[in-house]
Amino acid sequence: MVALARKTLIYEWRKFLPAALAVAFSGLLLLMMTALMFGIFSSAGVYVSRSGGDIWAGYPGTQTVELGRPVPRDTEMWLRMDPAVVQVEPFQWLDGDWRGPAERGSVSVFVSGIDPNPNGLMFSHVLGPADRARLDEPDAVIVDEADLPKLGLDIGDTAFLNGHRVKIVAAANGLRTLGGVNIVTSIATARTLVSDAAERDKVAYYIARLAPGANPDAVRDRLAPIAAGHRFAVWTHDEFAYNAATYWMFETGAGLGFIFLSFVVFLVGVVITSQTLFAAVASSVREYAMLNALGAGIGALRRVILEQAFWVGTVGVIVGSVVSISLALLAHGQDVPISFNYIATIACGALVMAIALISGFLAVGAINHLEPANLLR
Amino acid sequence: MTALVADQITKSYTSGRVETPVLQGMSIALDERELALVLGPSGSGKSTLLAILSGLLKPDTGNVSALGEDLWKKSRADLEKFRLEHTGFVFQGFNLFPALTALEQVMLPLDYLGLPKHAVRNMALASLEEVGLASRAHLRPIELSGGEKQRIAIARALAKKPQFLFADEPTSALDSVNGKNVIDALHRVARVYGATVVCVSHDTRLAADADRIIHMTDGRILSDVKQISASAPSRSISAEANP
Ligand SMILES: Nc1ncnc2c1ncn2[C@@H]1O[C@H](COP(=O)(O)OP(=O)(O)O)[C@@H](O)[C@H]1O
Ligand SMILES: [Mg+2]
Repeated sequence: MVALARKTLIYEWRKFLPAALAVAFSGLLLLMMTALMFGIFSSAGVYVSRSGGDIWAGYPGTQTVELGRPVPRDTEMWLRMDPAVVQVEPFQWLDGDWRGPAERGSVSVFVSGIDPNPNGLMFSHVLGPADRARLDEPDAVIVDEADLPKLGLDIGDTAFLNGHRVKIVAAANGLRTLGGVNIVTSIATARTLVSDAAERDKVAYYIARLAPGANPDAVRDRLAPIAAGHRFAVWTHDEFAYNAATYWMFETGAGLGFIFLSFVVFLVGVVITSQTLFAAVASSVREYAMLNALGAGIGALRRVILEQAFWVGTVGVIVGSVVSISLALLAHGQDVPISFNYIATIACGALVMAIALISGFLAVGAINHLEPANLLR
Repeated sequence: MTALVADQITKSYTSGRVETPVLQGMSIALDERELALVLGPSGSGKSTLLAILSGLLKPDTGNVSALGEDLWKKSRADLEKFRLEHTGFVFQGFNLFPALTALEQVMLPLDYLGLPKHAVRNMALASLEEVGLASRAHLRPIELSGGEKQRIAIARALAKKPQFLFADEPTSALDSVNGKNVIDALHRVARVYGATVVCVSHDTRLAADADRIIHMTDGRILSDVKQISASAPSRSISAEANP
């Protein structure tokens, strides 16, 4: 077969370039929106994503760390009884009221009470042994560097947290969470901040580390029935981080906004791509009519146009990927919160290909009413 | 042998509420091995007649039968199949694909016949040889003269050795030398392949080279004359002067 579709695309590339670029930029826009979305909302999962450990135990139905409630004290024991579990530590999470310099008034904060052990799991990706050791000091707290100006304080300054005097002993990078200042302290200090004396020795979470090679999913499945009978629940590390990101996406409405915006981008992509493709096809309508006069069926001619749409889509995806990768590298150097997700990236690619193919079906309209008789005049 | 018969065909176009009759009950029978030239002033309905005879345009009333088959009783797909197997076209605009070489232009319609690749290529090359353009096989339309483009179009039309060849004003975009070459080529198609060739034109200079001349005005046949054509097209089409 003479490769009419491809030869025409290559020879008349100027005609088809706008369509390929429309596809490429739709893809770029979709991918960047997705990456930004995941970038921003992955901070909702910092408690999980910046910590070691393989299994989280918490109150049943907890979607995200901020919604935690105290779990029974024997949770720790149930975790330890699993043969794959080699380390268990408590993690306390509570709301706090922060009073710094008088002119700033009170700030509502999140308090994380962690195990300050050098091999502690909580925030192990952010806080090294030196920082953790500083938390051994009573009433010591660590905050994110970026939050210091917000609190109007510096390292070494003191403030009141739930009425207790605390001291900022260090600042770290990577503790910022969505929607509030994250104050990290030792589990011992955190206990003193709990107002309800009856709850003081209960924590909201336990984190477990498994023996190397153990499958977290299998352990979770093994622990689930035990947990159900003892008023706690277990999640794998990845599961809990993912739950947090999606919870905040939809809780804030950003998720729906994002889906709506993606739909708009998709629609705009289809409109522009199909219009440019239609124009490119329409410019060859006399040649298609001639082929039809000579006996080539309409179906065969439609396939030529769909094949062109497919190649336009392919070129669009390639161009879009190259530009996206370049932009991602640029953004990475500028601390723009973008994060690429395997599934989301593939979904974007599929959507972009759909834009090209739907546009192809619309562009077929250019030869739907092919009248070879019109060639005779 | 009569190959194509039109019986009492009528056709009118409606634009708005005005109905303009173009063909008013026309009958005609065309033989194989014959180059019939339809002459007439612009607007006399020549192109409409050709479109109806060739299975591109449905008449309002009347029948067209080709090779004993009633064309306008066929479905669109069957008509396409009939045209694919039996019919070639040459039009005033050459309608060549800009992206394809001369050889590919000729191969393209053959592809749809489902022939093996090498057969398609050989038929196309032979056809280009026939119109004297084998040496131009690798060139694209932009690199060819008007006369050469029309000969490529003829090569495309006759590559499948059709029983019918329809040409609508094939010479009007060409100078007189190239115009003569094209008519010679059409004549040769009739003689060599035994095809029924119908050529429509308003150019009376072509009359000398036809086997039969049909004069039309206002959708009616004025005269229908068979003649011994002035130039017997025994020589090869390719032996023509290049402009
Ligand atoms: N598609 C059409 N719609 C309306 N009128 C048409 C159409 N095609 C042709 N006509 C009219 O029909 C008449 C005959 O046209 P045509 O067969 O092309 O004549 P010729 O080829 O002899 O110049 C002309 O008056 C022309 O304006
Ligand atoms: Mg005409």
